[in-house]
Amino acid sequence: MAVGTDIKLAAKPSRSRSGAQTFLEYARQNWSLFLLALPGLFLIFMFSYAPMFGVVIAFEDYSPRTMFASPFVGLRNFRLLFESPIVGRLVTNTLGLNFLFIVATTFCSVLIALLLNEVRSTLFKRVAQSVMFLPFFMGWTIVSMVLFGLIDYNVGTINALITQLGMERIIVTDKPELWPWILTLIRIWKGTGSGCIIYLAVLVAVDPQLYEAASIDGAGRWQRMRFISLPALVPIIILLVLLDIGKIFYGDVGMIYAVIGNQANLFSTTDVIDTYILRALQSNSNYGMSAAVGLSQSVLGFICVFGSNWLVKKYSERRGEDYRLF
Amino acid sequence: MVEKTSLSSRLFNVVNYTALTLFALFCLMPFWIMLVASFTDDIALRKFGYLPWPSQISAEAYRWVFKGQEVQLGYQVSVFVAIAGTIGSLIAMSGLAYVMSLKRLKLRNTIAFYIFIPMIFSPGIVPWFIVTRNVWGLKDNIWALILPMMMQPFWVFVLRNFFSALPAEIMESAYIDGASDATILYRIVLPLSKPVLATVGLFMAVAYWNDWFLGVMLLDFAPFKPLSVLILKMVNNAQAILAAMKQQGVLIRADTLPTLSIRMATAVITIGPIILVYPFVQRYFVKGLTLGAIKG
Repeated sequence: MAVGTDIKLAAKPSRSRSGAQTFLEYARQNWSLFLLALPGLFLIFMFSYAPMFGVVIAFEDYSPRTMFASPFVGLRNFRLLFESPIVGRLVTNTLGLNFLFIVATTFCSVLIALLLNEVRSTLFKRVAQSVMFLPFFMGWTIVSMVLFGLIDYNVGTINALITQLGMERIIVTDKPELWPWILTLIRIWKGTGSGCIIYLAVLVAVDPQLYEAASIDGAGRWQRMRFISLPALVPIIILLVLLDIGKIFYGDVGMIYAVIGNQANLFSTTDVIDTYILRALQSNSNYGMSAAVGLSQSVLGFICVFGSNWLVKKYSERRGEDYRLF
Repeated sequence: MVEKTSLSSRLFNVVNYTALTLFALFCLMPFWIMLVASFTDDIALRKFGYLPWPSQISAEAYRWVFKGQEVQLGYQVSVFVAIAGTIGSLIAMSGLAYVMSLKRLKLRNTIAFYIFIPMIFSPGIVPWFIVTRNVWGLKDNIWALILPMMMQPFWVFVLRNFFSALPAEIMESAYIDGASDATILYRIVLPLSKPVLATVGLFMAVAYWNDWFLGVMLLDFAPFKPLSVLILKMVNNAQAILAAMKQQGVLIRADTLPTLSIRMATAVITIGPIILVYPFVQRYFVKGLTLGAIKG
């Protein structure tokens, strides 16, 4: 009898014990694995999961003394937020700038990839690619420094050249309407060389017979680029743009804060959700409302990521591939 | 190619090479201006501005930069953060990725899900800011510049995919011979994964080196600042001076601005390490980018 029950227990241990016990048993057997995984798991808990509990401050009248136990005010922060005139500006700027960035960087990356693909000289190709890739590694603070060197009123290169020609200096920092385009230009400068790498990788895989057949039929190089290379890129362009659209609610704080900083006269066209929150944190004001901004952004961003991933999945399934992110 | 000599093809070549050369110059131009300005005499800069050609060559700025306590300390901080951060994140990420790659471990999908969630949902900067500073106490110390960036879910998945694709027989036979998982990871898996480790490590090193966000958010009164934050401060100061002068309606006088060549020299020594190693490691970066977009 006793032997019989023993065997039975051993046969299905997981069902006769509680989940916690199974887990402990599991951990005991794989302790060295847990040791390997622990630092990573704990760091993710520290900086990704623990802050998730902190979203309660979006529903509180936050004060630094009481922290998370501040008085609960329900949706007041959200109401204040949606009543304030700033929210429209933030959303417009975030979406508008991201839209500009997506269109411009995609266009330039594809164009440069197509052009590089037609280059026969390996040396030229390699040098050109290395040079174009270089800006990718520059930190945004360096970019900001150089931009200042270019457009500064007194010493900027542009004004220095203008005065050498004997013309009137221009003040770029007084013209907010110019800045979306300046930011886009910086994005093109920094992102084209890295962006075209993926398109080049796709172009290398295009069957060379297609080009040969086309040239026998009398297609020139321009036509082959237009009717063979470009269509080969369309699927990956669509996929990458969809993935970018998934992130459209997240402003590029790394770039915009580094470049614009605290120049309040430029905020009307360049202030995005993320930079607004960052400044609020720095000036120690309105934590509750900033948290509400951040939470709204996260929810919208989450929906967008899921939506774009769903579209990517549908699109790639139709082509018999699987490119979705998750 | 047969039609290489045809007129339209030659025209195409001319247009193509010209366009690419122009774009490459556009990419290089800021570096050139930075370099020229850093080697130009400060008085000449004040007089003529940042011209794209050197007017009066001088290495004075570099002498100042290397003498300056703040920049020197900033350099040390940035180097330490980049090295410690990269090594630390490679250890933490590869450990987790190895565990996730084990087919015998049932928990591996749960772990993958745990890492995946932060990729699609973040609670925003405000809770992160308060928790990091007040709960974990990461404020005004060097770890504040390292720990928050250490785990990058995307790279964990890249490492996991690479480890999973390694021939399982080697690891299994070692496991049967009684090798512990740590031994297998550090003696077998990692030595076989040098290319992917180089890729991930380089991306992490550049991210640490260039990061200003942690420095701005988590260092208030620390006596040290990383280089990126020092540079941001210089630019902000210059912008602030300009704005203040404009408000007062005073005619802007160039000579009151802080030294112009030193600023550019600081920028040059900041990008220096990247430019130096760039030719040798470029292929790893290229690999990392294609990894990012094409799955598998």
